[in-house]
Formats: sequence, C-alpha cells, structure tokens
Amino acid sequence: MRRWALPLLLGLILGVVGYNLMMMQFPRVLMGFATQRISKAGGYNTMFAAPMATDKARAIVRPSPDLAYSSCPYDVSNGPVLVDVEPVPAPYWSLSVFDARTDVAFVRNNIEANGQPIRIAIALAGQPVPNGMQAVRVSGSTGIALVRILVQDRTQFPAIDAARKKSSCKPLS
Amino acid sequence: MKPWARYVICAVAGLALGAGAAVQRVRTGAFGASTAIGPWTTGKDFGTAGASAYTRAVVSLRGILALPAHEARYYNAAVDSAGEPLDGKCRYRVSGKAIPTKWWSLTLYDHPGYLVANQANVFSVASARVPNPASWSVVVAPAEQAGLWLPTGRIERFELTLRTYLPDDGGVGNLARDQLPSIVKEGC
Repeated sequence: MRRWALPLLLGLILGVVGYNLMMMQFPRVLMGFATQRISKAGGYNTMFAAPMATDKARAIVRPSPDLAYSSCPYDVSNGPVLVDVEPVPAPYWSLSVFDARTDVAFVRNNIEANGQPIRIAIALAGQPVPNGMQAVRVSGSTGIALVRILVQDRTQFPAIDAARKKSSCKPLS
Repeated sequence: MKPWARYVICAVAGLALGAGAAVQRVRTGAFGASTAIGPWTTGKDFGTAGASAYTRAVVSLRGILALPAHEARYYNAAVDSAGEPLDGKCRYRVSGKAIPTKWWSLTLYDHPGYLVANQANVFSVASARVPNPASWSVVVAPAEQAGLWLPTGRIERFELTLRTYLPDDGGVGNLARDQLPSIVKEGC
C-alpha cells in the first residue's frame, strides 16, 4: 500500500487542479458556443435583429420574452469594432458588451444615455480607436454586444423593430 | 506493476475525477444559487470580474449574458413557498406586492432554461400588465385561468425567473422575503 501513497497524493493534487481548470474553462467554452451560435444568423461584426423569443428560441438559454434582442457577435482580432445604437420608441433599452469570459465590459441604458445614440468602439488593449469614440476594452478577441429593448405590448413591436434596425455594428477598417 | 504506471493511473484518474466533479457541480447548480430567500435564489455578482469561478460557470450554463446587478437582478425559483418542486401539472398562485424597481417580469422556463411551448403563446407576465402593482397575483397553471395566467405547458418540472430591471437600490441589496412574491400551490 505504501507504494501507492505518493501516486495517490499526486492524483489528489491533480484532482483539485482538474476541478479548478474545468470550472475556469466553463464560461469561456460556453461563451464561445453562444457567440458561434449567434454568428450563424448574421456573421461576426454585424448587428442581427432577432425575432421576439418563443419556445422555439434555442440560441441562448433563459431568453426574456419581454425583450427584443439585437446582437453583434464581435471579433476584434483584426481591429476595433464600432457599435452604434440608435434610440427606439421603448421605455427601456440598453447596450451591453460581454467579453470572452462572460464579464460585462460595458453597459448603458437609455436613461443614462438621455435617449441619445450610444456609440462605442470595442477594442483590445493597445488598439487605437477613433477620436471622440468611447473605447470599450475587452479581454479576449471575441464576445457579444447585445441590445435589449423592452416590448411592453407586442403590437408596438413593428415600430420598435423598424427603429432598431438603424443600429449597426461594423469593423473599423 | 511498474512504479511509473501507478503515477500515470493516479494522475489520469485524479484529473478525470476533478474535472467530472466540476461538471457535475455546475450541471446541478441553480441560476443565482448564491443566496436563498424563501423559494427564490439570487446572486449579485453576475457579469462582474468579482464573480467566483463557480458563479461564472453556472451563469454561463443557466443564464449567459446576464446583466450586472445595478442594471438587473435575477431571482429564480425551482420550488414553491413550501419547498416542493414546481410541477407543470399543478396550479400555483404567485402573489406579490410593489417591487422597488423600474419594471419587472416573471417568466416560466423548463429546467435547461428555455421557454415552454403552450397554446396561448404566453411566456411571461410583466409589471406593465399588472392592474395594481401594490398587490398582484398571477396564476401559474396548465389550463387557462381568469386574470393573469402563466401557462406551464404541463411539463414535469419548471422554474420561474423574476427579473427586476433598474432596482431602486442600484442592485446592492437583495429583495427581502416579504418583497418577493410567494408561490403557493393551489392544486394538481
């Protein structure tokens, strides 16, 4: 039995290592899957206006049926990505940017923006962004910029849908 | 057996067991399980650099793209106020008072976190539909109900998520038990 003592100790240590490694990799892997799934609709660095969520929606878990989502799966490996969110006729809307680890790098709603457009440049550290544009620095080259719009009544959706399609997401160069 | 073989066996087994334990813990974790308030569970470090590896992993599986606390708080219930699992074949009354937030919504999901098919195509009840925000109730049931109704689709187990957007306190505190709705089973 003594011959197994050190190998078992090694196994115990590696068990702890394996547990923590897996726990840390989970968000990155699932965020990667989510980014890929969303990009199938419109590609990277473009804004995709998704239909209102129903039981058929499978791109993202726990979607809110009260919100209209527009999403931009971004990839800043070749340079910054510019996101321009135009106001919509809804009591609440917001832009949030999620990095590769699922951390929120940026969030601003219509109240904070005083109903004005929100314009940001998503960039890695060190990437220059245009003058006057707010830089949102992210860790990891891919992630998701997400626009949430409250739709209190689905009869209002066509007007909101038309307005939200003025928002854009595009690479700087 | 050669000594190196013992090391290899234990190393591989240790890594596999550790990784498997992490996967199992995340798979059985509930969305926002860091704090329990009656039937509701919540957390306030979603989407932040301060979130623990476990919180981050569970949120990525159960509610990816969740907003930080100052923007929205998420309260999830997989059991009723008596602690019994929510059963899609039963009828529940969810009753609440004024919630200190700009707006809120109550949404029904299956365990993996997807909306549940139902003939009425109703998936949530939002605060704008509540006639009296100071005292309201929603019936969660498989068959159509008078008043505000949230269909269960007769699935075996369901969960309720209460989203509170722009909470009055900036999301720093949890809603107290008497500020959160009760979930009372009325029959099956």
